[in-house]
Amino acid sequence: MDTDIRSGWADAYLAAAPQGDLFADASPDMAAHWRTMLDRLSSQAKGDPATLADHVARQAADLGLAFRLTGDEQERAWPLGPLPLLIGAAEWRHIETGLVQRADLLERIVSDIYSTQSLVRDGKLPASVVTGSPHYWRVMTGTAPPRGHFLHFYAADIGRGPGGEWRVLADRVRTPVGVGYALENRLAFSRATGDLLGAMNTRRLAPFFSDLRRGLAADCARSDPRIGLLTPGRFNQSYAEQAHLARYLGLMLVEGDDLIVSEGRLFVRTIQGLKRVDGLWRWMDSRFLDPLAFDGQSRIGVADLYDACARGGLMVSNWPGAGVIESRALAAFLPQLARAVLGADLILPNIATWWCGQPRERDHVRARLDALVLGSAFDQPVAGLPETPFLPGASLQGDSRAALLAALDQRPMDYVGQEMVKLSTTPAVIDGRLTPLPFTLRIFVARDGSGQWRVMPGAFARLAAHGDIRAALMGRGDMSADMCVIDARPVPADSLLGGGAPAIRRIGGMLPAKAADNLFWLGRYIERAEMTLRLIRAIAGGSIEADLGPSLASPTMGRLVGLLAAWGAVPAGAGSAQAAVGPLCAVALGDAQQPGSVRALMATVANIGEGLRDRLASDVWRLVRMPLPGFDGAVTETLLDASSRMIDRISALSGLAAENMGRGDGWRFHDMGRRLERAIHGCRLIALFAGDQASDDDLTVLLDLMDSQISYRTRYLTGPALAPVRDLLALEPVNPRALAWQAQRLADHVAALPTLRADGLPEEPRRIAGALAAQLAPLTGDMLTMADIAAAETRLLALSDAIGQRYFLQLRKTQSADILA
Amino acid sequence: MIYHVRHRTILRYAAPVRLARFNLRLKPAPWPGQWTSDYELLVDPAPTIVESRPGGWPVQVARLVIESPIRQLSIESRFRAGVQGGAITPQLDDPTIGAVARAALTDRTMGPPSHYLYAGARTPMLAQIGDWTRAALDPDRPIVAAALDLALRIQADFAYRTGVTDADTPVADAFAARHGVCQDFAHVMVIALRLAGLPAAYVSGYLRTLPPPGMPRLVGADAMHAWVMLWCGPTRGWIGFDPTNGCIAGDGHLFVAMGRDYADVAPMDGLFVGGAGQSLSVMVDVAPQEEPAFSAPA
Repeated sequence: MDTDIRSGWADAYLAAAPQGDLFADASPDMAAHWRTMLDRLSSQAKGDPATLADHVARQAADLGLAFRLTGDEQERAWPLGPLPLLIGAAEWRHIETGLVQRADLLERIVSDIYSTQSLVRDGKLPASVVTGSPHYWRVMTGTAPPRGHFLHFYAADIGRGPGGEWRVLADRVRTPVGVGYALENRLAFSRATGDLLGAMNTRRLAPFFSDLRRGLAADCARSDPRIGLLTPGRFNQSYAEQAHLARYLGLMLVEGDDLIVSEGRLFVRTIQGLKRVDGLWRWMDSRFLDPLAFDGQSRIGVADLYDACARGGLMVSNWPGAGVIESRALAAFLPQLARAVLGADLILPNIATWWCGQPRERDHVRARLDALVLGSAFDQPVAGLPETPFLPGASLQGDSRAALLAALDQRPMDYVGQEMVKLSTTPAVIDGRLTPLPFTLRIFVARDGSGQWRVMPGAFARLAAHGDIRAALMGRGDMSADMCVIDARPVPADSLLGGGAPAIRRIGGMLPAKAADNLFWLGRYIERAEMTLRLIRAIAGGSIEADLGPSLASPTMGRLVGLLAAWGAVPAGAGSAQAAVGPLCAVALGDAQQPGSVRALMATVANIGEGLRDRLASDVWRLVRMPLPGFDGAVTETLLDASSRMIDRISALSGLAAENMGRGDGWRFHDMGRRLERAIHGCRLIALFAGDQASDDDLTVLLDLMDSQISYRTRYLTGPALAPVRDLLALEPVNPRALAWQAQRLADHVAALPTLRADGLPEEPRRIAGALAAQLAPLTGDMLTMADIAAAETRLLALSDAIGQRYFLQLRKTQSADILA
Repeated sequence: MIYHVRHRTILRYAAPVRLARFNLRLKPAPWPGQWTSDYELLVDPAPTIVESRPGGWPVQVARLVIESPIRQLSIESRFRAGVQGGAITPQLDDPTIGAVARAALTDRTMGPPSHYLYAGARTPMLAQIGDWTRAALDPDRPIVAAALDLALRIQADFAYRTGVTDADTPVADAFAARHGVCQDFAHVMVIALRLAGLPAAYVSGYLRTLPPPGMPRLVGADAMHAWVMLWCGPTRGWIGFDPTNGCIAGDGHLFVAMGRDYADVAPMDGLFVGGAGQSLSVMVDVAPQEEPAFSAPA
């Protein structure tokens, strides 16, 4: 690329950058890094910022990065900006020291609140600043976390003023939302830009995560602990982030349902029965953790988890109730608490905050209303700020100002005043141009294996589209970006696997019962979709026999359409007249209202897959989420083409399962789902199309539906005949579409799964699967009767129930008993 | 006054329930001016009973665990209790609402009153309740007289109707309809007082079943009752107000538990697996024992 375009990016930006911009304000050596980076990126993008933005966005999409805003049904694409923020080692050192000091301070405050409460007694902290927080839980008083660590991680939102000074905008200890996104932003950016990060001496993130992992493990009772990442579930805004982190850190991703407390100890339900859990990294608020101790309305918690905490021996990060230190009201006291507790001033100042629960502070806020931002002291809805948790005082005029002042008199403790924050800017790409945008950084701090605080050398940077950016992680229209800490010298390589190498192991760890359940049903629904597609293809005329398809003799066609209706792919009683074939197939393919349509089945597959995010390869995920190919109900070819393309996709999924899934118990459950569904369908198809009165058309269609045309032709030179077809499809032990083959695989799977019995007797699934395989093994096609097929189907249904009973969660909906006596 | 209290609850389920875990909050928590003795808890079928550590609030929690499937559960709580007599009335030198609100914010203990200043799970800060009571709770009014007026106003303006609300009815609905039972009235009053910056608590307890001769029978005596505790400054301390009966709580009100609202003191809540169609019958008897004055057992 010619140099004009290169220097163009940097120079054009600097010409228009506002005062205090991160790049424009950089020291000479950092400015050189900025220029190097922009030159490299410009050259990679052939001078067009929009190309670079697309490139990075594609990497983010490939990583499966997604998020939801509150109220979203579907996930949104992740808005990752293509230009990272650069911060030099010296400036970073200052931020790091400031945040470690702050983490220490917050730990000491939480610990005091839940033990001796000396800060309140000595008048350093008003009691009503503590009790006003909805995250303060009185029942936690007197409980002691392992090694006294109430906090394992801490995140701070910091902002940089136009003068270059950094300030803390908010402290977060409830959930570290954003830490996974920060990691994925780095991943996406580094994939999009090759060796650029290394060439700039960018400090690596991986050591932070291995420290975090060791920090969690160090406070667990056993030396090789089992730690769960407790998620609120797949509808949570940051579920994708949680699943990614669980996989990256090697933690079990668990929901409340997976866990049970028995005699004060926490266990996970696995297919091998209950297994001890040593620690939880919780990604849900304390209020939801235990319906019997906190909020009785919670349906995502674990009954008696509180007792397991209070009894001791369970690591929970962060300790329930820690969120009490997040309030704006408490932030007002941090400067004086730092002096009282640490004997030092805060290295990184707060934004100045006045809690109105004190008469002098309230008067100050009233007097300077126009210069301050008014906020809800505990982030709760308050009368004076009906729309939002904070507002510039100057924007309140007339009635709303009068209402606020009245509310401030009634309940002053609900309000804080905060100084206005002016944020400096950083380069971003908007509409294909480099544009300065104000930013904040969320920085993550965690304890390492020796309990020391470590700061992640990077951040989740949020670039504001407009307005104040202190509320959620991401607002509508905002962008995120990576932040790089730049060293003077090259940094040594390290990855999560580096450092103190873990003991080698060859099994994939414990399989939680719910994951087994999901994998099993994932298999069943994929198979069901495949079967429905083959049915559609047969109806629409996709057989290799030229004279099949819409011209099928009508009894066969009637049976095919009847099956579509029986499987819920088309409404019951849908006609079988030749003219209706196209629209009928279109419904069976694409009508989301029909529970058995391909579209509905694939949506269920995606839904179940969502609950398995931590276990599915991104290739699987990509295939499952691809939209249905387009088709036109009036043009048979398009229906055939769409069904074939969907069958190809399902074949790709089968291929991924066959070639890429480790042969652990998870794979067995997935495969059992496929086999069981295929076998049940096989029974029904054979009963319908290979009965004693079956026509040639029936048999031909059956060979097609069970994908055995070629096998049949290689064995028999004649057209389809009843006994050979029955033998091939029901009994042949080497035909992977045959009933007997499914039965044998099922028997192998259940035999290989763990048993709970100590007496060596077979469990129920093994008895049934064994009986099924044994029933079919001695038969040949000429002996087989429809009664045998019916008996096999009965056994298959019993096997499905037995697998569910034995391995999956038996907890149906838990009811609450709320009684006004 | 000394009372014998019997409170029997029978729960029936249309289908068996398993793994039932219940919290019972039926045993009176310690409270100044009141004593409890001879407490018995009888549960059938026999459960595992775990007496919980004292929780955050003045509440005694017993945990019942019943692993086996049940279709019926009978719980009987029995005890003897004494309540100190002496009617509380508004005084000329009572502190004003404004003074109490200020004192509540500067209290240096982690105990009351600071816990009762803010919204609870069932008691959101509803602006419409504030609009309705603002004039009655002027900061310059003496607190006890003003709170009694508020209790009387709720009693007058709200229709006492059983069956129109249940334990899960949001307080906003009961307020809009101006009807409900003791729980709804107590929630409305608690919210009104907190909106004025005052520390107000929700109390569950019992009323004497039959009134003293010549006195009317109090409403709510055939089940557990609920009223409001208001912190009236460091000198007067906590005073009970009963908006259902429009009075200050006296020796006919027997304290069991106190929290921010119903959710903290529900007599019984919990979790079980399965089941549906729960039906419930409750029998409460609070009988005075004819004994001389106030005699706490040794």
